[in-house]
Amino acid sequence: MAVAELERWEGADVRVGEIERRLADLRAAAAEGGLIRTSVLTHLAWVPPEWEEQALGTLAGMAERHPSRTIVLLPQPDADDDGIDATLTLRMFRLPEAPRSICTDVIELRLRGTLGAAPASIVAPLLIADLPVFLRWRGLPPFGQRPFEELVDLVDRVVLDSTEWPGLPAPYPQVAAVFHRAAVSDIAWARTSRWRRQLASLWPEIASVRKIRVTGTAAQAHLLAGWLRSRLDKPVGLEHEPSDRLIDVEIDGEAAPFPPGDPPQPSDVLSEELDRFTRDPVYEAAVRATV
Amino acid sequence: MAVLEENPLLEGLELARTPEPCALVIFGASGDLTRRKLFPAIYSLAHRQLLPPRFAVVGVARTEWSDDEFRDSMEEAVREFARDEFRQETWDSLAGGIRYVGTEFGSPEGADRLAACLTELDEERETRGNRVYYLAVPPAVFKPIVRQIGERRAAEGWTRLIVEKPFGHDLASARELNEGLHEHFAEEEIFRIDHYLGKETVQNVLALRFANGIFEPIWNRQFIDHVQITVGESLGIERRAAFYEQAGAIRDIFQNHLLQLLAVTAMEPPIDFTAESVRNEKVKVLKAMHTPGPKHMVRGQYGRGFVEGAEVPAYRDEEAVAADSMTETYVAAKLFVDNWRWADTPFYVRTGKRLPRRETTVAIQFQRAPHPPFAEIAGEGLRPNVLIVHIQPNEGVSLEIGAKVPGHGMQIRTVHMDFLYGGTFRTGLPEAYERLILDAMLGDATLFTRSDEIEEQWGLVDAIVAAWRRDRPVFPNYAAGAWGPKEADDLLARDGRAWRTH
Repeated sequence: MAVAELERWEGADVRVGEIERRLADLRAAAAEGGLIRTSVLTHLAWVPPEWEEQALGTLAGMAERHPSRTIVLLPQPDADDDGIDATLTLRMFRLPEAPRSICTDVIELRLRGTLGAAPASIVAPLLIADLPVFLRWRGLPPFGQRPFEELVDLVDRVVLDSTEWPGLPAPYPQVAAVFHRAAVSDIAWARTSRWRRQLASLWPEIASVRKIRVTGTAAQAHLLAGWLRSRLDKPVGLEHEPSDRLIDVEIDGEAAPFPPGDPPQPSDVLSEELDRFTRDPVYEAAVRATV
Repeated sequence: MAVLEENPLLEGLELARTPEPCALVIFGASGDLTRRKLFPAIYSLAHRQLLPPRFAVVGVARTEWSDDEFRDSMEEAVREFARDEFRQETWDSLAGGIRYVGTEFGSPEGADRLAACLTELDEERETRGNRVYYLAVPPAVFKPIVRQIGERRAAEGWTRLIVEKPFGHDLASARELNEGLHEHFAEEEIFRIDHYLGKETVQNVLALRFANGIFEPIWNRQFIDHVQITVGESLGIERRAAFYEQAGAIRDIFQNHLLQLLAVTAMEPPIDFTAESVRNEKVKVLKAMHTPGPKHMVRGQYGRGFVEGAEVPAYRDEEAVAADSMTETYVAAKLFVDNWRWADTPFYVRTGKRLPRRETTVAIQFQRAPHPPFAEIAGEGLRPNVLIVHIQPNEGVSLEIGAKVPGHGMQIRTVHMDFLYGGTFRTGLPEAYERLILDAMLGDATLFTRSDEIEEQWGLVDAIVAAWRRDRPVFPNYAAGAWGPKEADDLLARDGRAWRTH
């Protein structure tokens, strides 16, 4: 699928009201060749400086699968002054077997100084009406603090990755506090789905499990243990062997068979989460049972 | 859901639609369909891990091949035609369960060897006696094959039979085929393929109609002026002269694809999306159609002409076609569905070879606005709204609406509002055969044609063809690369309408 950056506009100290107008100009400049603007969602990403490089790469891949308006918020609290710097990009995707292209827009906003403290008022005018809004939050969210809390109330779904969090399982109860406000996806949970399917196939023997030993990330270990505890409604002990991938689960000392097939690609995992719209009660119960 | 109650760990897990372990037996395994469509589809299913973990494929054909030769040939086919990149490990996992049985179709000895091979696979691959038989062979050999496999059913497991078109050549032969199949298989074990129903965009007609609140209230005679369904091909008959000479456009496309497209466009909302509910509603449409009179039918045959810049021969000059052939390569019809919803609303349908381009569309033309208050355009008249479902290529839906041209005055232009599948859902559309093979393995017959549907379709075709015997049109009557004969244009012109030429 051919992807091209079509038009770009950069500006310092922009006003939010200016952004839509600049985007319209970009579209007008690029409108040769039958461009179609398509969106299925607004994709919001909160990217603290330490995640910037990694996040922008993933987001570039996402737009191709889910044509969306992508709004990347890059807070820069240490900047000398307050202001918004914007980079607006039209990305174009050529359609196979069709003489047309579609375009989506990426709005990158650097929120200098205190402007990162109350991001909802910056984002709200830029959301596409009637389409779901997903918030991808890189790193451990500052639960209870204004930027996170404001954005949670603005969106339909929050996509987190607890693999990125230090000190697990302590932060999980704070995630649970968000459940009634927005649906939550956890990439770490999604990455356990093959293993959950595999462990479910060990029913009914697995019902008597007392302890599991998980070789994988801490997030995967805690979420798998929480899942078994909540589903089986009984205590299940956890021993965690650190590894950057989930490669082994032992049930009371006995290794579970390795699940068939390949592990999903990171972009596949995120992509699947963007196809979900409702709360996931099984995940929520697993999170509550992690501690 | 008893299973859920038993196993709490299954809750919330998206259980992919993975079929039970089974063996897929393809009769006609050395044919073009197997190479171009079936094996690439099987590979794509394997690539997406949608095949059962314990799975086997047995090719059956007359060609003398070893297992390895068959595997090599299919690997080559997958490399050439599959929509996914070739991955050796995916192929290897599939290839381990591939066998080949070379035999004349219907030979008892061959059938015994096939049965022995399947029993062996049951042990080796744990396929549990579950079988999907795919008849990718001419109808003449259906009966002996069906008898042989019917008599050699495995003691355990389920059996399903996928039957390729053409399903008969008239009502009598279709009934005979149905009776032959029913001697050995129950109706719910028979899956008659019309690959059009496996296309995402055909299923999207149902989504468009029944998942949206705004279309269904106006989907009737009060708001719709007429419907046009086009199945156009720019290709000629390729190397299918032997079949095409006998079938013509009416049996090749009209009897199945066109009537199925009409049925999904005109059907009443089913109460659910189960096979029986959907097919019951489609049959009602077919039953409600009355035979078009001779003035409502147009036949055509292409002469020499130009398609995409290249000069192409006339139908009668194609290899293996009779020099005085009266086979039609084009059919257009004005059809009526006589029920409360559609009374007096014409469905104009057409299909042809060597038309200007390959295109399948369903166009719903609404009534024009009753009194446009714009003096400037009163003379020309506002064009009516048209909702176009593009089945192929450029899968999607577009709505033609009138919009004001910017500037002084009130000039109105027709513009398109487009929803392009490839633009919004940026995943490759699955090939129809992937969906259909998977559905058959899962026992879901929603997208397959039931015996009574087939018989209703043939009943209509028989009546049309019977009327054709009485006259002998002058063929060829349209040039290759044109949108069909003049009579087809006249058919609509008499009603004050015109074919959409896009």
